[in-house]
Amino acid sequence: MDKKVAIVGIGYSGFGSTTPDLSYREMIFEAATKCYQDAGGIHPQSIDSFVASSEDFMEGISIADEYVPDQLGAVLKPVHSITGDSLQGLASAMMQIKTGQQSIVAASAFSKVSNLSNHDGLVTYATDPFYIRPFNENPYFIAGLEMNRYLHETGTTREQCAKVVTKNRSNALNNPSALYGARIELEDVTEAPVLSYPLGIYDMSGHLDGSIVVLLASEERARELTDKPIWIKGIGWATDTPNLDSRIDGMGSAVYARLAAQKAYRMAGINNPFNEIDFAEIDDTFSYKELQHLEALNLCGPGEAGKLLELGCFAPDGDFPVNVSGGSLGGGYLHEANGLQRLMETVLQLRGEAGKRQLHDVETGLAFAWRGIPTATGAAVILSTRP
Amino acid sequence: MAIMERNSRNIDNRYWNPGFKAFPVKNVYTAGAAGQRFFEEIKNNSKILGSRCEKCELTYVPARIYCERCFNRLEEKNWIDVGTEGTIYSYTLLFQTQNGEPRENPAVMVAVRIADGLLIHRLGEFSAADLEIDKPVKAKFKPKEKRKGCIEDIDYFKPIK
Ligand SMILES: [Zn+2]
Repeated sequence: MDKKVAIVGIGYSGFGSTTPDLSYREMIFEAATKCYQDAGGIHPQSIDSFVASSEDFMEGISIADEYVPDQLGAVLKPVHSITGDSLQGLASAMMQIKTGQQSIVAASAFSKVSNLSNHDGLVTYATDPFYIRPFNENPYFIAGLEMNRYLHETGTTREQCAKVVTKNRSNALNNPSALYGARIELEDVTEAPVLSYPLGIYDMSGHLDGSIVVLLASEERARELTDKPIWIKGIGWATDTPNLDSRIDGMGSAVYARLAAQKAYRMAGINNPFNEIDFAEIDDTFSYKELQHLEALNLCGPGEAGKLLELGCFAPDGDFPVNVSGGSLGGGYLHEANGLQRLMETVLQLRGEAGKRQLHDVETGLAFAWRGIPTATGAAVILSTRP
Repeated sequence: MAIMERNSRNIDNRYWNPGFKAFPVKNVYTAGAAGQRFFEEIKNNSKILGSRCEKCELTYVPARIYCERCFNRLEEKNWIDVGTEGTIYSYTLLFQTQNGEPRENPAVMVAVRIADGLLIHRLGEFSAADLEIDKPVKAKFKPKEKRKGCIEDIDYFKPIK
């Protein structure tokens, strides 16, 4: 089980607030085409197995996993779906290689949320039918409750959360695939209409359509397919209780992130993540989540993330750059493909292919994803240029 | 492996609605052994029940029949009346409707801490100064004849003066 696993190809398609030119399956086909080209032009016949991450209802069909194979070149091949964040799908693909069962595995995810006329209703449908749904309220009140509790417990300020928005939307200006890049002031965020106090409308990332496909290979096959493999050093995922009524610990802090990261750090042999990791792409679905996640990932102590942010620590030229890509606030939120988006940005940085936003001398990066309201599931991956 | 052509004029793009009506996914839900009893106590006796795991020293509100930490069964003797008062663990003012439309008068949602549980509910009969974490609150039940055996049999929580 000590086989090494590398990312040998990655491709994306879409990344628009709407994508009326392609169906979601064509979008995946295009991302797969780019991914396979990126991995030396491999033909899907040479890929052993495929893992798709998706969520029924988002596609507008049920048993969505049956609609996976053709757009990946996976017809007549081993295929399965993960109903979870795409980093959980990545973990599944990785394990197939670690066991020796397969040598080359593709993992895919997508968002075609623009085809969904009542996304908020779908989120409501994900909440408890007895204790939450009867209120018939916008489900983002859960984010409002979380943010208020997080600010209360840590002394983090509303302005510090707004600073996450200005940082990430500004970072996105250097990322051609980021949709929501903007140079804005703190007041643009703090004085914007409130969604669910203290959460304002710009504290929440905008929707994004897109697809990402990534190719994983064993060490032996990775060396054949690419001269710049990026190695998966550690991976972990965890889920806190789904019941809001038991989230005494989980309402103000991201327990799932702490547990997921502990597993990933242990596997990667990391003791001091702040010193041993060079940068991170971290879930920022909501502004407060970036700060809450930084603390849960043990990159700083509780209540320290906001202060470090104000000191510039997480800026592209800071000690520990976070979401140099613009994150979801600057790039748009890809739903179950959120994890692969964070992963893709980490891979591009480590390969030195991040263009204007390229960081210097980076060797190890962290990607972390959360499944969004109302879930308490997160997954962390440590990537490195060294096997 | 390539997409050779794609629609490049928005005016050419259209969306297809299925020729059939949106598939009516309709469910009934089973509250379960714990949920049924919890709601019937609210409806008939204006009582909020929790269940205590002695091993974990945790009291679940709403009551459950198993502990989610140690997986122990929570027996009859573990069910307890936890009273109708708690404190605001967190609150929020919601300025959008369920469908994302803005609205002028916000819904005020609270997580009320009772024992080790958090009941999510509305806040009523309050002033701005009452909106504060740790503020004591009390359940206001609907009149008995209007109760249906659901979480909304509690009309809202209100601050204790
Ligand atoms: Zn227990």
